[in-house]
Amino acid sequence: MAAAAKQAQQLARQFFKLSVVDNVVSTDRVAGVLAYVEKHAPANAVLVLKAYHRLIAVELAKSEARVEHAGTVAPTALAAIAAAMTKKYSRPITSTARAHPALLAGLRVRVGDDVYESSVSGQLAALALSV
Amino acid sequence: MSTVLDQIEQQIAKLSTKAVKKNTGNIRTIADGVAKIDGLSDVMYNEMVAFPGGAIGIALNLEETEVGCVILGDVSKLKEGDEVTTTGKLLSVPVGKALLGRVVDALGNAVDGKGPIDAKETYPVERIAPGIMARKSVNQPLFTGIMAIDSMIPIGRGQRELIIGDRGTGKTTIAIDTIINQAKINKVGLASGDAKFRPVYSIYVAIGQKSSNIVRTVAALEAAGALEYTIIVAATAADNPANQYIAPYSGAAMGEWFMENGMDALIVYDDLSKHAVAYRQISLILKRPSGREAYPGDVFYLHSRLLERAARLDGKGSLTALPIIETLAGDVSAYIPTNVISITDGQIFLETDLFNQGIRPAVSVGLSVSRVGSSAQIKATKQVGGKLKGELAQFRELAAFAQFGSDLDAKTKAQLERGARIVELFKQPAFSPAAIELQVSILFAMQKGFFDPIDAKKVVAAAANMKNFFTTRKDALLTEIRNKAALDKDLEAKLQAACDEWKSGYTA
Repeated sequence: MAAAAKQAQQLARQFFKLSVVDNVVSTDRVAGVLAYVEKHAPANAVLVLKAYHRLIAVELAKSEARVEHAGTVAPTALAAIAAAMTKKYSRPITSTARAHPALLAGLRVRVGDDVYESSVSGQLAALALSV
Repeated sequence: MSTVLDQIEQQIAKLSTKAVKKNTGNIRTIADGVAKIDGLSDVMYNEMVAFPGGAIGIALNLEETEVGCVILGDVSKLKEGDEVTTTGKLLSVPVGKALLGRVVDALGNAVDGKGPIDAKETYPVERIAPGIMARKSVNQPLFTGIMAIDSMIPIGRGQRELIIGDRGTGKTTIAIDTIINQAKINKVGLASGDAKFRPVYSIYVAIGQKSSNIVRTVAALEAAGALEYTIIVAATAADNPANQYIAPYSGAAMGEWFMENGMDALIVYDDLSKHAVAYRQISLILKRPSGREAYPGDVFYLHSRLLERAARLDGKGSLTALPIIETLAGDVSAYIPTNVISITDGQIFLETDLFNQGIRPAVSVGLSVSRVGSSAQIKATKQVGGKLKGELAQFRELAAFAQFGSDLDAKTKAQLERGARIVELFKQPAFSPAAIELQVSILFAMQKGFFDPIDAKKVVAAAANMKNFFTTRKDALLTEIRNKAALDKDLEAKLQAACDEWKSGYTA
C-alpha cells in the first residue's frame, strides 16, 4: 500500500511538472494530462489523481490572494493587494474577496500557506495571548 | 486605576497595526499525540507550531506533501481541518534557580500546586552539545554517598555514568541517594563559608513512571531535606509520548543553565528505556522506517545527543548525567542497553541475585566500571580503597572455587574471610548516604583489620556502630579528613587511635 502511494505520488508529481508553465498552472496542460490519464489509465489511477489534485490546488492557492474582509473593500484596494503580492512573490497573483464579519474590522489576506493578518479580531487574539 | 489603563494602552500600542505574516497549515489527521498537517510550507525542523486552544507542537517530519508534528498538551479538542501556525521559535523551557524545589512538567510548567514559577530566563530544549575545545577533563569527584560506588566505581563531575539493572534492583534508590548526598554536602559546604565550595544542584527527570512513584520520590527528597536543591521534571505514564520524549531534553536544558553559569549540576534520567519506547511510539505513528526491535534508525542519536550535553566546561561549571536503563532478565546485550553503555563513561550494573541475597545496593563489582577511574577520587579514598576492587574480584573467584572443596590453606581462608567482610561492609540502607570522610574512616578500619575478629554476619551492625561512634564522638577528626582529603601520618595515627577507642568500647 505504501509503495503504491509512493508510486502514485511520483507519477502525480511528473504530471504536475508538465502542467506548470512559467510558474503558472496551464489550463490546457491540465486538460491534456486528464485526457492522457483517461486514455492510459495508470495503476492506482484514483491515488494518482488525488495526489495530482492536491498539488494543483496548492499551486493555484499560491497564485491567488484570498482577501477576507469585514465591511466593504474597494476594487482599487483589491487591485493594489494583487499588485503588491505579485511583486512580493514574483509571480502573477490575482485577488478574490470574501466577506468575513467575524473579523470585526480590517482584512486578512491568504496567499498559499501565508496569511497576512490585519484585522481587529486577529489583534484581539494576539492581545489575549500576550496578557 | 490610571496605571491599569496605562498598561492596557501600552499593550495596545505594542500591537502594531501593520499586517502580521503567519505561515499556516491545516490538520489532515491526528492520532496518539501526532498530527499530520497540510501546508506549513515555511516550517523548520524542530520548530514550535501553535495549535488552536493553546496546544503546541514540534515539527519532526518535513515531507513533500505534509508535516508530522508531535503535540505537547491537550489534544482532545483538536480536530481535522483546524488551522496550525508556525511560530519561528524553537521549544524552550524556563531555567534558573527559581525552579529548585519544584515539580514541573516537560514544558517547565509547575505541577506541584505551589503557584507559578518566577523564572527569568528560558533555554531551548534542543541544543548542540559543547564541543571538544570547550571541555575540560573530568577530575573532580561527585560523591554518591554509597561506599561501594565511591570507593570502587568513582563518578566525576561532568561524567555520564549509567545505572543499569532489572526492575526492582534499586536503580532509582542509587540515584535518589546520590541526590540526597549532594544536598547534605551542599548544606555542610555552604554552612562552612568556604568561598571555593561549589554546590551541586540536582535535576531528576521521571520518564513514563507511575505518578505514585514520583510522589514517593518527592516525599523521600523532602524528608531528607534535598528537595530545595532539586528540580523534578515529571513526564508520567499518563502523559502523552511527546511529553515523555521531550522531558529529558527539558531537564538537560535546566541543567545546562547551571553549567553555563559556573555551577555544578547532576541530572538523573529515570529511565531512558521508557524514553526510547516513547520515541519508538512517535516514530511508528509518524511512519518512519523501523529497524531492530521496531526502534527507528536514529534511536542511538536520540540518546547520544542527550548524553553528550553532560560535560565539564573549561572556566564554567559541569553537568553530570546518571541515565538509568532497565534490562529484561539481566540482558545487557539488548539494543537500547548496548547503545547507552557505549555512549556513557561507565556503568553501575545491579544484579537481581545480589539484591535477593540481601546485598544492597546490589552493585555487581565485576561488571561495573567507571572509565574516569581514580582521577575522580580524593587521595584519602585511593589510600584506603585503592585495592578494594581487586580484592573483591579475587574473593568472588576464590568463593566460587571454594565451593568445590573444603580443604583450604590459611591464606585462602583469610582472603575469603576478608572478602565476606568487605561485602557485608558495603551493605547500606536506602536513603542514607554516608559522607566521604566517614567512608574513609570505615574503610581504614577495614584495611587495618578492625572488622576481622567480628563475625561476618555482625559486620553490618558493627559498621553502623562505628559510623555512629565517629559522627557523635570524632566530629573534629572527620572534619579534618574532609578538609585535607588525604591521609598523612598524623591523620592515620589519629584514625588508628579512634579505631582502637571504638574497638575497646564495642562488644558484638
